[in-house]
Order: sequence, then C-alpha cells, then structure tokens
Amino acid sequence: MIPTEFDYVRAGTLDEALSLLAQNEDAKILAGGHSLIPAMKLRLAAPPMLIDIGRIKDLSYIREENGQIRIGAMTTHYEIESSDLLKEICPLLPECASHIGDVQVRNKGTIGGSVAHSDPAGDWPAAVIALNADVVVASKNGERTIKADDFFIDLLTTALEPGEILREIRVNKSNSRTGQAYVKMHHPASGFAVVGVAASLTLGGDTTCERASIAITGVSSKAYRATAVESALTGKSLDWQTIADAVSHASDGVDFNGDLFASADYRRHLAEVYTKRAIAAAMKSVPSA
Amino acid sequence: MDPPANAGGTDLITCGTMKVEGTHELHVLRERVYALLIDPEVLRRCIPGCEALEETQEHSYTATIKAGVGAIKGTFKGSVHLEDMRPPEHYRIVVEARGGPGFVKGSGDFDLEDQDGTTLIKYAGEMQVGGTIAAVGQRMIQAAAKMTASQFFSRLETEAKDH
Repeated sequence: MIPTEFDYVRAGTLDEALSLLAQNEDAKILAGGHSLIPAMKLRLAAPPMLIDIGRIKDLSYIREENGQIRIGAMTTHYEIESSDLLKEICPLLPECASHIGDVQVRNKGTIGGSVAHSDPAGDWPAAVIALNADVVVASKNGERTIKADDFFIDLLTTALEPGEILREIRVNKSNSRTGQAYVKMHHPASGFAVVGVAASLTLGGDTTCERASIAITGVSSKAYRATAVESALTGKSLDWQTIADAVSHASDGVDFNGDLFASADYRRHLAEVYTKRAIAAAMKSVPSA
Repeated sequence: MDPPANAGGTDLITCGTMKVEGTHELHVLRERVYALLIDPEVLRRCIPGCEALEETQEHSYTATIKAGVGAIKGTFKGSVHLEDMRPPEHYRIVVEARGGPGFVKGSGDFDLEDQDGTTLIKYAGEMQVGGTIAAVGQRMIQAAAKMTASQFFSRLETEAKDH
C-alpha cells in the first residue's frame, strides 16, 4: 500500500520543529523514517503531517563533553558504527549499531528516532538501558533529562510527552575495567531482534564483578533491565556456575511474547543463552583483563 | 466497474480471534458504577481516544475512536450497542469498528459484584481483529488492549470520584 495523504514540512532548526509540532497536534517528526515510513505504507500510522528534521545539521554529532559522551538525536546508526572515538571510549554503542537492520537502514536510521519509537525488538533501547543513558528531550517550555530506566514505558510508548522532541543521548565513558558487548539473534527475514542482550560489566580485582548492567530486547513489549541477573552477578566472582545461575533469572518478572517464529518458551530459553553469551563477550572485552 | 471503496483489500487479509478478560475493583457502590458504565457522556470521557459518541437509538451509539500505541495509531469509526441489561449486575457490549489499520468486531460481558460497598467489575469478551493490524501486529493488539483497558478503568475511577 501507499501512505494516506499527508502534509510535509521541513524544519530548519529545532525551534522551528518544536513550533510546528506545537501547532499541529497529530503531526509526526520524521528523522530517518525507517520505522515511521514502513508503518505509514502499511497504514498502521497515518499522521496528517510530517515534520522533517533531517536537514538540521546541529542535531547530528558525537562528542565528549564534561567527561560524558553526547550524541545528537539525528546521528545515524552508521555514524555510530564507524566512530573511532566510540570504539575506544564506549564500544557497546558501535557494536550495537552494527547489528541494526542492513546497510541502507544504518545509513538513514537515527539513534534518536529509534529510541523515540521504541520498537519492542529494536536494538538501541537495550544498549541505552545497559549504559544508564540520559535522554535529553526538548519542548517549547525548555528541556528535561530522562533516565533510560524511566524512558521506556510500554509497547511503543516512551516518556515523551506530546510536543517534545528527543534531542540528545548522553552516556558515560567506559574505563579499563569495563567490558561491553551486544549479542543478538537476528530474525532471518526482518533482521529484528528475536532476542538482543546488551551487557556492560565492571570488574573489581580478578574476575569479581563490581557492577553489572544488562538489558534485553526482542522478547517482550519493550526492552527491559534484567535486574535479577544483575543482582546475581554483583559482588560475585564470575565463574561459569555463577553466570549459569544468574542467567536463569533472565526472564524473571517479564511477560514474554510468542509468535509464529518463536514461542514464548523458546524466547525464554534464548534470553538465557544470549545473556550468557553477552556476559562472556563482555568479560572478554575488558581492556585490563 | 468502480474500484472498491477500500482499495487496499484489507478486508480479505487474516482475521484473528482474541479473548479479552479481567477484573477491576472500584471503591464505589455497584448501582453507581452501573450508571456510569452505561452513560454515553461518561463513556466518551473514559474510552481512550474517543472523539465522538452519539446516541442513535436507546443504548445504541456511533463512535469515532483514535486507537493505537506510539506511532501506530488510526481512527476507527463504528457502532457500540448495549444489550442484555440487568441493572445493577450485568450487561453486554457489542462493538464493530473499522479504520485504516483494520477492523475490530467484538462483544463482552460486564458483571458487577457487590463487595461491601466496593464493586468488583468482571469483564470477559471476544474480539475479532482483521486487516493489516491483524496480519502484522498480533503482539501489538494484545498489548494495546491491555493498555486501553487499564486507561479506561483509571478514567472511570476519576469519573466516579468527581461526581
């Protein structure tokens, strides 16, 4: 199908986009368009107006500021995937980006658009949660910062209020005692995550886990922090038994999806297996180990 | 020959049947809850996304509802009909609506139990969903139904308190 009729406006600045959004209640922001346009072609979404923010140059950047990494909302998956700076100071980001969709999607899709859309099988929400990111959101009334743990609320539903535009994502730099990994089972047709696990582990002496941050996507109505797994790893020495025990909690307290491709039971099994793989990969990538 | 009005042919695509059931407790007397649940003005305020609810005959209404989650949203137009009414304990609601993403047909039984001044609302029904949303968004429908029900009862509680 083709989309229903819509008006199209291109905003030159973020302020212009915010004004347009305030004046047009049902308008949708167009970033990379690779979640929104497919939905519009299926007529699952039919916004009467699109506000294109794709030409706002100063929404696209990767920089270090005040000891933090700041990424503009319009930064593409490809820009993150190929960033030498990020490969050095936050490797989870380029690794996660490299798993998204395909080359064409990565060239257009943006981290801001993807996080604002919050597809239940999207990759970014898992990485954003595991990195304890801050999501910076702009509106006509100013700005606010939302912690990743508070951002993803339900299926396709985030803490973004009407009239707000996601502007920036902030994460902390990793250090020499931190290992990070993103592992994913790609759906063979769509490439979406049947399961995706983002892990960031900070080690103390030897293989004692000082901090574990693990988030899982693809299996439920939204990406979630695997708190039970984190608790079972924190303060413990990361031997195989500890890890095996910890990952058995990967699906604790979460409603798992089932569909034609993978039943809920199969996804629960996959969540354990891929969490184990993510932990192992993260441990291997600790620079000082 | 004129092309069919719904040129996308969504009517022919898959159709799934879903059970919707649950309970909700309201700290309000049963008679009051029943009266609220059959008041079209209250329903219009409580049904998430309801833009219009107009009575055509007694206990029959046409409705326009914007439904969806996140970016996936559509406007559905259809009819709502209340039947089998036994105040203050029971009624049945029959719904039929159609929109861009597909169509919905369903019916549900509402049973109200008095528990010492608190009312326990039990609802149980079946929904048939068809069109694109049924073909690609099975997961979405379940989650959306849950969210809608929860928002509905939240607003109903507010209505009960305000009057």
